[in-house]
Amino acid sequence: MNRMLVMVCCAAAALGAMALVSCTEVPEPVTPSYTTTLSATEIKNSAFEEFFPVHYRTFLENNDDSQMTEYSGSIPHEKHLCEDPPKGWKYCQPYLKNLWMGYPFSYEYNRARGHTYALHDVLDIDRINRYSEQAGLPSTCYNCKTTKMVEWIPEYGDEFWAMEFHQFREEVDMDDHTIGCATCHDPQTMDLRITSVPLDAALKRQGKDWREASRNEMRSLVCAQCHVEYYFQDKKFGAAAKPVFPWDLGMDPENVYEYYKDHGSTTREGFEGHFIDWTHAVSDTPMIKIQHPEYETWYDGPHGAAGVACADCHMNYRRLDGKKKISSHRWTSPLKSPEMIKSACGQCHADKSPEYLKERVIYTQKRTWDQLLAAQELSVKAHEAVRLASEYAGYKRPDFDQLMIQARERVRKGGMFWDWVSAENSAGFHNPAKALETLARSQQASQEAVNYAMQATNYGIARNLEGDIKDIVPPITEHSRKLQQSQEHLDSHKWLGYLPLLPEADLVWDLNRRAQ
Amino acid sequence: MVQPPGRGKVAVLVLLLVGAGLYAGMAFSMKVTDQPEFCGSCHVMYEAVRTHQVSPHANLACNECHAPETGVPKIIFKARAGTKDFYQNTLGDVFDVIHTTDKTKDVVNESCIRCHSMTILNVSEKMIEAKPYCTDCHRSVPHMSKLPISERRVSDE
Repeated sequence: MNRMLVMVCCAAAALGAMALVSCTEVPEPVTPSYTTTLSATEIKNSAFEEFFPVHYRTFLENNDDSQMTEYSGSIPHEKHLCEDPPKGWKYCQPYLKNLWMGYPFSYEYNRARGHTYALHDVLDIDRINRYSEQAGLPSTCYNCKTTKMVEWIPEYGDEFWAMEFHQFREEVDMDDHTIGCATCHDPQTMDLRITSVPLDAALKRQGKDWREASRNEMRSLVCAQCHVEYYFQDKKFGAAAKPVFPWDLGMDPENVYEYYKDHGSTTREGFEGHFIDWTHAVSDTPMIKIQHPEYETWYDGPHGAAGVACADCHMNYRRLDGKKKISSHRWTSPLKSPEMIKSACGQCHADKSPEYLKERVIYTQKRTWDQLLAAQELSVKAHEAVRLASEYAGYKRPDFDQLMIQARERVRKGGMFWDWVSAENSAGFHNPAKALETLARSQQASQEAVNYAMQATNYGIARNLEGDIKDIVPPITEHSRKLQQSQEHLDSHKWLGYLPLLPEADLVWDLNRRAQ
Repeated sequence: MVQPPGRGKVAVLVLLLVGAGLYAGMAFSMKVTDQPEFCGSCHVMYEAVRTHQVSPHANLACNECHAPETGVPKIIFKARAGTKDFYQNTLGDVFDVIHTTDKTKDVVNESCIRCHSMTILNVSEKMIEAKPYCTDCHRSVPHMSKLPISERRVSDE
């Protein structure tokens, strides 16, 4: 009896003591700090594995390139092909090659896949000329593909950008130097950092400094190093081919379009001083190419404006080694499985089912996609109208030249605006209203281009534009640097005929080695 | 001559004392284990406690919402929940995102009504029927789950 009592008392005392002892103060959300024994200049991805094996494991999950979602996914199919994967996908953009005629993007443009493939894919892409000792594109193309930038910039300074791309091929290891730990982390403390030259500069011009940015801002800025629209600087404005983010007038399509009315050195009438990425081979229009403006699209969307960071959805916390959670370093579509939706979206939308959340995403994406295709068809029609007008032999309006400048200006704008949405990787979801507005503006500009071109010819070309654009200008499905070496290929489509025949040549480069 | 108290009476007294002590201990333990300081001693609960501490409910104990109010149901609920949480934390798997169970949601909703009954008098029955839980409208109450992640969570917790 007494022993029982003693035991019960002891148990109660122990419980009470436990309750008292375990009264911990919950800390502010401060990220843990680390001290590695790595050198401050470490850039090899594998060097980080022993310190952070669980993070590294999720990083290697980026190697999975086998799964599609409804409008996105990781199979690196050609974006203009509408066949089954792995070559194409049901949501394709059949006119891309037409719309980029005369620009390297018409040779090859594929769906993005995991960061672990970034360096491999830039070395493998047909946009960079592997049939020659001259790449045709500057070393700036490495800027967002490799941790080697951390070494190259201090070594070469601003000379680096315009150097020969091929010169650096043999310096890179495709696994160890692809986008990795050193891109976003200080190797010694693992604190978030910005290694991007153009982002650092763009923020400075806005009077900001990432070194003073909040943790929440950094959780998006590290992505903004690369997932942004950019251009290569004209040498009139400083170091040739240096990457610049065109944000000085704001980050919306209209701001960026205004920005590009400056920052170039062309003397072409009506476009003096405009920045030009390329001149469209068929319509002779000075064009702007837009690249993956994720950051500029996200920042004032429903999530971005509410302070929800890229990492909130794309680097959701996961508990993989027992209990402690880590940020997932698998950057991919959060829609790949109900579990992923729960883990990413469920952190905030706990009251919604994965099926419901997915349907809401697709609700936006479907509408965006349909309008994107309509905008591209109208853009093709605008190019064709300008082509027809410029070759028109009949009666022309006295202000023909001025009307043609107007027409080409609208082709340029219409092209830039659909490209904004096309190049952005969320099919509208990151900012539904902005995506649809941008596509509406694209369609308006392209239609105005058609109108000006018809007016210039006193509607003489109008009958050539009747009917379905797919019959007037069929989509180009096959085009590459190799094919452009064949006259037969150039004769196979009315628009391809505007391209110069390239001299016969064999591959000089195979990834990071010379071709055998 | 005063008779020394009988052994029986001493035993009763001791038992009473021990009983009172035990009761006080139990009451104290029950109180302490209701508090965020106790709940927050498991790192997986940091996010919940952190968001609680900056909320308008910061001065209330976790179990003012998360357990039934009254004695026996509360003891049973706490024992069950505590055992389950202990198991999940040691031998089980903790989910990437920890969500409430339906059972807890019902208990929490009862707690809303318990404290805010006077306010609810102003709300028609229809309103309560329209949304099953008070937090279906008062959405930041469940641990400010619409705040950006960086204000709620950090790794290693």
